[in-house]
Order: sequence, then C-alpha cells, then structure tokens
Amino acid sequence: MSESHDGLTLEEVDRDGALRETAAAVAEAEASGDTRGSLLRKTGAFVGGGLLLGGVPLAVAGAQGGGLPKSDVTILNFALTLEYLESTFYQRAVASGKLQGSLATFAQVVAGHEAAHVQALLSTLGSKAVKKPSFDFKGTTSDPKKFAATAQVLEDTGVTAYEGQVTNIKTPAVLMAAGSILPIEARHAAWIRDINGRGSDPVPAPDAFNPAKTMDEVLAAVKATGFIKG
Amino acid sequence: MSNTDLPGFAELDRDGAIEEAASKVDGHTRQAFLRRTGAFMGAGAAFAALPAGAFAQGGASKGDVAILNFALTLEYLESAFYAEALSKGALKGETKKFADVVAAHEKTHVTTLKSVLGSSAVKEPQFNFKGTTASQSTFQQTSIVLEDTGVKAYLGQAGNIKAKAVLKSAASILAIEARHASWIRNIVGNGSSPSPAPESFQSSLTMSAVLAAVQGTGFITSMPSASAGGATSGNPSVTG
Repeated sequence: MSESHDGLTLEEVDRDGALRETAAAVAEAEASGDTRGSLLRKTGAFVGGGLLLGGVPLAVAGAQGGGLPKSDVTILNFALTLEYLESTFYQRAVASGKLQGSLATFAQVVAGHEAAHVQALLSTLGSKAVKKPSFDFKGTTSDPKKFAATAQVLEDTGVTAYEGQVTNIKTPAVLMAAGSILPIEARHAAWIRDINGRGSDPVPAPDAFNPAKTMDEVLAAVKATGFIKG
Repeated sequence: MSNTDLPGFAELDRDGAIEEAASKVDGHTRQAFLRRTGAFMGAGAAFAALPAGAFAQGGASKGDVAILNFALTLEYLESAFYAEALSKGALKGETKKFADVVAAHEKTHVTTLKSVLGSSAVKEPQFNFKGTTASQSTFQQTSIVLEDTGVKAYLGQAGNIKAKAVLKSAASILAIEARHASWIRNIVGNGSSPSPAPESFQSSLTMSAVLAAVQGTGFITSMPSASAGGATSGNPSVTG
C-alpha cells in the first residue's frame, strides 16, 4: 500500500514515539513468533482492511474468544483494528455531509458494511477484543477527492490483509467468516476504483490474481498513514 | 444466486443427462461426475503459487483435485463467454473495457489451473451462450450472474481445500472474481441497483448448488468424456 504514504507521515502524529515503538515491537514479534497477539492486545492499534468474520459471528460467537487458538484471536484483533479504522473513516465521511452522488452512496453503503464487520468481530472476540483506537484522518473525510483516494487505499489494503491471513487461520468457522468478508472488501475496492477511474485508471480489477500482504506489511502501511493516534 | 436467477436454461438438456448428473453430485458420485463430464461453470480457484503439474497424478489430495477441476470448469465457461462476447463486437464503452480486462483474467485463471492440474485437468466443454454475448444488455446481465456465482463458488470451497498453497491461490482468485462482480454491477447500476456490494458478508454456494445453477443455464452443450490423462480423482467426501 505504498500509495498510503502520500501526504501522510507517522511523525506528524506519533509525537511521543509510541507508534514507532509499537511498530518495532511488531517486527520483533514477527521474528520471534508469538507475541504479536499480546502486542496487539496492548496497543489496540492499527488500521484497516478487515479480515474475517463475516457471516460467522454466529458460528464462533459462543466462543467469545476464549475457545479460539491464540493465533486466531490475534488475527481477529488485527482484523478488528482494520475494521475500526475503516468504519470510523466512513462514519466521519458520511457525517461531514461533503460527499455527493455516487460517492455519497458508496460511503453510506460501505459505512454500514464496516460497522457490521466491527460488530461481528466484537461479538466473536468477546472480552478478548482490542479497544477502539483514536483516529485522526487528517481532513480526508471531508474532502471528496481525498476521501475517494483514501477509501481506495484502505479497501485495497483490506483485501490484501485478509488474503494474507487466510492460511494462518486455524479455526474453520473463523476461516469462513474471514472468507465472507474478503470478497466484500474486494467489491468495495472495485467499486471505489470504478468511481475514481470509470474503468480506466485505476482499473477496478488490476490483476488476474489479487496480491496478499503479511500482517507486518499491513501494520507498517497503517502506521505510515498516521491515522491512528493511539 | 438461485437457479431461477440465471438467464433461461433447461431447454438444452434434452436427454436429461445433465440433470441426471447433477442429481448425483451430492453423493459419492460427484467426483466421478466431474471426471466424466469435465464440466460446469465458473469461478476459479487456485494456484498462483503452485508449480505446474503439482496436482497431477497423486501430487495432491483427491479432494483438492476435484475442487481444482470444478474451478477449472467454471473458468472455462467464463473465459469462453468473454472471448465470444468480444468476438461478436456488440460491446461498447466501459462494458467493452470490462470485457477486455476480464477476458484476460479468466484466460489466465484457466491457463494456471490447467498447468497446476497437468494431466489431471478436465477438458474444456463446448458452450452455447444462447445469444447472451450478442448484445450489450444481455451480456451485462449474464456477466453479473456468472461473476456473482464465481465468487460464491470459490467461497463455498474455502473450507474444503486441504493444501495451503491451493487455499492461498483460491483466495487470490476469489478476490478478483469479487472485483469483477462489483465492477460490472457498478457499470450497470451506477452504485444503486444492482449494488456493487449488496451485503455485508458474502454468501456462498456449495459445489452441488453451483453445478445445478450451471446446469440451469444450459450454457454447456457437451462435456468431454474424461480428463486428458484419465487420472482425475477426487475425494468422495468433498462437500460443497
């Protein structure tokens, strides 16, 4: 998600270095293996693209996080963080009243979807759910052009994030939930790309195979946006 | 997508062969059915990261081979549909652009699946798209149905795939089919109706439900008798 770096720098927001510290810890955790879950739980941070749980809250809800492997809880919290970011982004964009036409329709519909993803993840994770971070979208929710460009980056990132976790998920019900959210994020991405480029540039479906990103790559991209304040 | 959503079918299956075959799909005969018919529509499934021939002759579980051939059949159908639509020359504007881009994607999915399956790959069926490729509006409506079905077909197999590499590849195609579906829906409805993303959580279809829907279209007119190597085998317990 290199595009996300445009105009957005971590340093602008990360005054006390907390995010940078967290990012470094993520890298270490990635290397050592399994502390990522506790790290995410501690920071409750990072951006978005959602990953999992779609129709599934029903199947997994009873577990309330307790019956899931730690790694699945980590992935679910990773997804929840991304969905928190997306959901808040669209909610503020709709509230700004600055969007019109097809862009307004897109924002309203997607805001509803992301809110549903957040709720599903929260109900699945129960007490294991990370808390919602504070966000600063730096004016991208009240300017139509910036909103359109940012939504495209967030949705494309969401698709790559879910795709990157598919083979890491251990619980079948969680896989199906993630699987049901993945194509919705892809639909959102193609939709905003079509609004932005009308089929030319950006192309709604740029490749025959959608790329995936690791959790670290996604977290780094989110960090770079500076959208998460803590 | 229920069968009834598909543009008119049924009339092609005069001798009831397809229907008979579909009726057996739920049980242990599904694999044999796929092997015999080599048919049915599509959504792709897998393999970007897999080496050529990885799934031929014992390289993978029977269940995964059956799923890959199921995906290949759907991709054959989609690929043929777009190729025919482009050759008819009736498309214009963004719909033409869409067809150009998607035709290339589906062709790539077919090529990749065939490469991965090697001698276990089913052969391409013969198709009759019943004039749906001859006009912009029928092309658009049919494309929406095919792409939505493709998304549901891939998602429906996610929990059945055994090899991680296959799951990873299937996910990468699932996302692309969803992008196609959203794109053509936005071209047709400009964000309103049909909505590019009509639900918060994507619904799925079992393999037998997809096969029945394909059967309902009547787009497949003849099916090859067997895979190239005659080695296609699958896990009878594969459940859609």
